[in-house]
Amino acid sequence: MKSTLSILAVSCAMGSAAMAADRTLTISVYSFAQDEYKEALYDPFEAICGCDVVVETGNSVERMAKIEANAADPVIDMAVISTQDALTLARKDLIAPLDPAKLTNFDKLYDTAKDPIGDHMAVGYTYYASSIVYRSDLVEIDSWGDLLGEELAGQVALPNITGTQGPLTVMMLGKALDAGTDLAPVITEIGAHADDIVTFYSRSSELVQLMNQEEVIAAPVGRFAWGSFEKSSLPFAWATPKEGQAGGMNVMVMTKNNGNEDLAYQFMDYWLSTEVQTKVAQMLVDSPANKDVVVSDEIAKNLTYGADVINALNIMPAAEIVDNRAAWVEQWNTEVIQ
Amino acid sequence: MFRNRREGLALALPAAIFSTLLFLVPVAILLSEAFRSDTGFSLQGYVDFFASPLNRSVFLRTLKLGVLVAGSAAIIGYAAAFCIVNLPGKARGTVFGMVVLPLMISPVARTYAWIVILGRTGIVNDAIVGLGLSASPIRLLFTETAVFLGLLQLFLPLMIISLVSAMENIPRDVIPAARVLGASWLNVFFKVILPLTKEGLVIGGTLVFTGALTAYITPAILGGSKVLMLETLLYQKVNVSNDFVSASVIAMILIAMSFAANLVLKRIATARS
Repeated sequence: MKSTLSILAVSCAMGSAAMAADRTLTISVYSFAQDEYKEALYDPFEAICGCDVVVETGNSVERMAKIEANAADPVIDMAVISTQDALTLARKDLIAPLDPAKLTNFDKLYDTAKDPIGDHMAVGYTYYASSIVYRSDLVEIDSWGDLLGEELAGQVALPNITGTQGPLTVMMLGKALDAGTDLAPVITEIGAHADDIVTFYSRSSELVQLMNQEEVIAAPVGRFAWGSFEKSSLPFAWATPKEGQAGGMNVMVMTKNNGNEDLAYQFMDYWLSTEVQTKVAQMLVDSPANKDVVVSDEIAKNLTYGADVINALNIMPAAEIVDNRAAWVEQWNTEVIQ
Repeated sequence: MFRNRREGLALALPAAIFSTLLFLVPVAILLSEAFRSDTGFSLQGYVDFFASPLNRSVFLRTLKLGVLVAGSAAIIGYAAAFCIVNLPGKARGTVFGMVVLPLMISPVARTYAWIVILGRTGIVNDAIVGLGLSASPIRLLFTETAVFLGLLQLFLPLMIISLVSAMENIPRDVIPAARVLGASWLNVFFKVILPLTKEGLVIGGTLVFTGALTAYITPAILGGSKVLMLETLLYQKVNVSNDFVSASVIAMILIAMSFAANLVLKRIATARS
């Protein structure tokens, strides 16, 4: 009898495991900090939902191409991407609108994170500031315009227009040059100074290397890369230009007709919770979009943290980037790169 | 060697199937993108590509650097190969081993070494500033010069190996005979050495030119986005723009340039002989 019960118990346990394996959530995320995400987010969520989280990583272009290629039968349930990439997917009808009622942590978000691209097609989960990192022993930076000044000629790098940081830098240079909202004259001005710019970088890791090799002494970069500069033996500083900091946001989206919406909502809600957002912030991985998150001053100074900082960010609307990107890239290639 | 053709074909069959299924078919599918449009066959991708001033300048830069690297490798390679084949047996093996050694080191590591050499705080700039040739370090990285040096260092061993193999087949007496009969070294090179080593030059030239055209790591690290070449532009088209049509067009152009280089080199070698 005892052995029969044991067999039954084992069978039940195996059955539960089989059921758990039946529930799988496939997410598409950026490649960085996956160990930290596993510890703070994926493993705890798997324990809560009794499901498997399959993580697909890659750069934005690859991940968006995969979502588009599998539009008829989605293989990705939810993805995290930039606001402009989310809008691009929305315009291609590849993602579904989100129902805020299904996200219990929705009201805890900063207002700008609640509906960043309109029609509730996405929800923000992290902010990042963008400013200028520079060698404080060699130069002082007071304005974005200093990037094109004589003092930095031949020692400055700018982000390529094709990346996330590129349009933000052009926007802030436009503010410094009083160019208004039209970025075309700003790109022309960058082209006029192209010989003074060491290179146009594509990845922040590339810039970290260039600055540590002393090829470059100042460059605009996202705050998420600041940790790499802080670890350096060289005296790097984070500028507070008079025009302010640029900023951006990464968002969560739900693929259309994926058939796994409930689990995807559960995961998104868990990621937005104060508990997970605090853990991820303390690991210096993402700056929180949940306004209830509280971190120490030491942690906060490495993040884009707090209402004052977030509300002061110069965020470029996603629609402006998507609508103008092709023209900017064309002009950039003609007047700057060439 | 074989009793009949079937035996030879049977031995070649596995390699042929492997190459066809896993290389030729996927490449053909990918490259067919370059001729496809909504209305069927089209050359519009090529028209669009060459309509862009940036693409034209990248194409010309790639061609220029490919020719310069192959030409420089041939000049340096002939001198080096001539020395190597005239060394005594043991020394020849040692020097030849040193020529081959860089091929055993990752191109990434070799390219990063150039950053140490050419950087603002590198040994070249230290020497320039130390000798008083310039008050401050000069810009060497992210220039065509840096890409040229990196590519030449990367592919020179291939040219030397090809030329050493060719020169080893020159009959020992022909060069001394030409000299005894009054030929200058220049005449010896153009009338004896070059015709007898044309196969090595064609193979080495094609390898170096094709390698320089299709190298990615070296132009990406030493040239960055300011010295775009076709290969780095191709990467951008795929990974930044998700533009597979333009990427396929670039791939077709690179293949055509490689075949053209081989034909031109063969023609030059034939004309000389």
